[in-house]
Amino acid sequence: MIKGKDLKPQDMGKPHEQLTKLEKLMDLPAPYDKPGMEPSLTEPKDAWKEKFCASLDGYIGIDTLTRPTTKEEEEEQVEMFLSGLEKIFSDETNRNFIQPLLLSFEYCAKCNTCSEACHVFQASGQNELYRPIFRSEVLRRIARKHFKKGSGIVEKFIGADIDINWETIARLGELAYRCNLCRRCAQTCPLGLDNALLAREIRKIFSQEMGIAPRPLHEKGTVLQLKTGSSTGITKPALLDNIEFIEEDIEEKTGKKIKIPIDKKGADILLTHNAGEFMAWPENPAAFAILFEDAGLDWTLSSDLLGYDNVNYGIWYDDSQAKKIALQQFKVARDLGVKRIVLGECGHAHKAAAVSADRLFTGEDYIPKESFLPLLWDLIKNNKLKLDPSKNNFPVTMHDPCNVVRMMGIVQPQRDIIKAVSPQFREMTPHGVHNYCCGGGSGFAIMKSMNFSEFREKVSTRMKFKQILDAFQDTIEDPTIPKYVCAPCSNCKGAIRDILKFYKVTEKFNVHYGGLVELVVNALVDIEKPFLDFLRDD
Amino acid sequence: MLLLIFIYISILAFILTSLSVAIRFSKMPMHSRWELYPVPKEKGRSEYGGSYYEELKWYEKPREISLFGELKEMLKEMLFIKNLFVNQRQLWWLSYALHLGIYLLGLWTVMLLVGAVTEVAGMTIISDEGVTSHWWAGLVYYVTLFAGAMGAVLTALGSGGLLLRRVTMESMKKYTTGQDYFNLLFIIIVLVTGLVVWASEPTFSYGREIMKGLLTFSPISADGPLTLHIILLGLLLIYIPKSKMSHYVAKYFTFHKVLWENEPNLPGSEIDQKIKEAAGIKSGKTWAAPHFQAGGPVSKDQ
Repeated sequence: MIKGKDLKPQDMGKPHEQLTKLEKLMDLPAPYDKPGMEPSLTEPKDAWKEKFCASLDGYIGIDTLTRPTTKEEEEEQVEMFLSGLEKIFSDETNRNFIQPLLLSFEYCAKCNTCSEACHVFQASGQNELYRPIFRSEVLRRIARKHFKKGSGIVEKFIGADIDINWETIARLGELAYRCNLCRRCAQTCPLGLDNALLAREIRKIFSQEMGIAPRPLHEKGTVLQLKTGSSTGITKPALLDNIEFIEEDIEEKTGKKIKIPIDKKGADILLTHNAGEFMAWPENPAAFAILFEDAGLDWTLSSDLLGYDNVNYGIWYDDSQAKKIALQQFKVARDLGVKRIVLGECGHAHKAAAVSADRLFTGEDYIPKESFLPLLWDLIKNNKLKLDPSKNNFPVTMHDPCNVVRMMGIVQPQRDIIKAVSPQFREMTPHGVHNYCCGGGSGFAIMKSMNFSEFREKVSTRMKFKQILDAFQDTIEDPTIPKYVCAPCSNCKGAIRDILKFYKVTEKFNVHYGGLVELVVNALVDIEKPFLDFLRDD
Repeated sequence: MLLLIFIYISILAFILTSLSVAIRFSKMPMHSRWELYPVPKEKGRSEYGGSYYEELKWYEKPREISLFGELKEMLKEMLFIKNLFVNQRQLWWLSYALHLGIYLLGLWTVMLLVGAVTEVAGMTIISDEGVTSHWWAGLVYYVTLFAGAMGAVLTALGSGGLLLRRVTMESMKKYTTGQDYFNLLFIIIVLVTGLVVWASEPTFSYGREIMKGLLTFSPISADGPLTLHIILLGLLLIYIPKSKMSHYVAKYFTFHKVLWENEPNLPGSEIDQKIKEAAGIKSGKTWAAPHFQAGGPVSKDQ
């Protein structure tokens, strides 16, 4: 095993049982600066090492990447990787990304400006493995070796000095899942290059050529969504049951009798949610229903296949799956005859529908897509909702989902909204387009196989946890004061839920989490009891 | 005469190869959107990274673009390497010295040309008696001297410093290939030979003589060190656009065509048209995973 700081790209092919391991992580602020405040790191089980690729850092992100049992199988996988590598560099098979890929691939000056920006690298205590250019450089060296076969001296000169074997390939696949694809590094690159794009291209080789992707993203993600209508597996009857439950819950909590419109033909708005909300956080679709009904909007939900789940995990690992899902989702809207799709609190659904899929379809199939944020701010600004911000008189901070801010440029409306309903709002540092990822981005929030959750809680979410603690430094150690982390994105909310649980923050320091619409509903004048559960006596 | 022809070839190679890099990238298919905010052309919003998506029913409203905003950001990056200044100040000092030095050497080349044109037109810039008393000759002479001297010093400081940093800093060393070192060394060697030539004739008259030769297509006289310098500089000019030092071309595409390119696909738009055209392109090649095969299983294990 090599110490994190000593690791070099060429080591990726070396026959170590485990290349490196996490050691001293980034310090956390008070009260988590004291010993014993966080769970320790664990070792991977021997059975996992035998079956999967635990030879990178001991964590297993790809639960379908199993060790070959024969030499032939091993060679076949390496060949398939190399064939996929050729395909990402072909404008026949990678039309949609060939230009940005080649730019990022060819021009890196290795100045390391990106390292400072990467939350994973910083949180890991600057372990070389997670430096943004480490992964990119391994990919470059493999590609150079494969494409430009030459003598030993030439290979060394151009940096084609890496051993291409199964271990190298598998480790690189794993390493593609140590990046949240948050693209904060690309914001700082003096040449405008993008290491996250390269990580995503590696994921594509594995999925599109080798048929290997984490189960929660592929089999239980996009495949399940295309088959059953939702990556949660929730079917139409189950959805309708859930909505009925939500209506009952709204009445019980607020006294409001609301009939949630479903499949209303020709409605102005088709509101789409991350279906995870119906299961894990029904108060979120409930809050949307309350606000939209209060404001008198002409809206509907869809119970059609893929109409009730706006997620699109394809954008994290597979262009083809992303396209299939977007195609179905837009078809639902056109079939319903709605005028526009409004995206609820799901960051990657925002980016997938409005940005990533924007150039997949021509004018005839066009349906406008917009975020709920400008709409909600418009309702508040024009007094369509009667609000009393003093009902939210407790410290609130807000997480900016990368897909909504950095990748879509929606920054101000959510600030206008939260300032209108939350007198004790304070920003995280940094925030807006320069925010840090929640650590759950690009699939991490739902990847829980083997020990991957530990990597997420200890490393990828660590910077966000630090930001949360920093934002509440004035009150964190007073458990009598409730504190609220607002995360207007389902995946980010999941990651923050897991942080609070892992570090026992709710239990010890009264820190809660939730969406933005719940906070707005809690401030509605005509609701007697608090809408937010942690404020309710019952 | 051979030397003269070599200079023509190397200048032409630099221009044509740089152009071919630009053409290569501009001919690539339109990519999926991959923008990153802040996008400086977003009028009134670029300061905090906002976009047209902040607008309710954005698709019904006119698109407000600030070309001034984009130009301003572009110039900040071109003239000052702003991103590096903001994000890695220590490295910026060296990198900026190198780039400013190259810009000044560019100015020096232009001034040598101006001086040559002036002399061909009949006005001597400098003679044994000193700089000609006419203001124009003085201006040409001193700007050439300043640009050449400052350019050489800054380029030497920058490239030398960058090389030293790369050799001594472990975090840079382990990612640096032989070719990366070669690129910096090549610049330094050309610079050293240039300094040797300059030391023997500090007025840069030899430079104007070469330019005159180029302008009038007449042979140039060069001693050993100057011949070596010309050959090495010519080879560097031929090599730069073929190496990743051609980032002066790539940077246009990374920013303007990728990170700042957020044009929405609205019905009837130019983007819409391009998508329609692309839809007609059929490729025989596809990916091999099961879910790409018609009727195949959706995953490896099925």
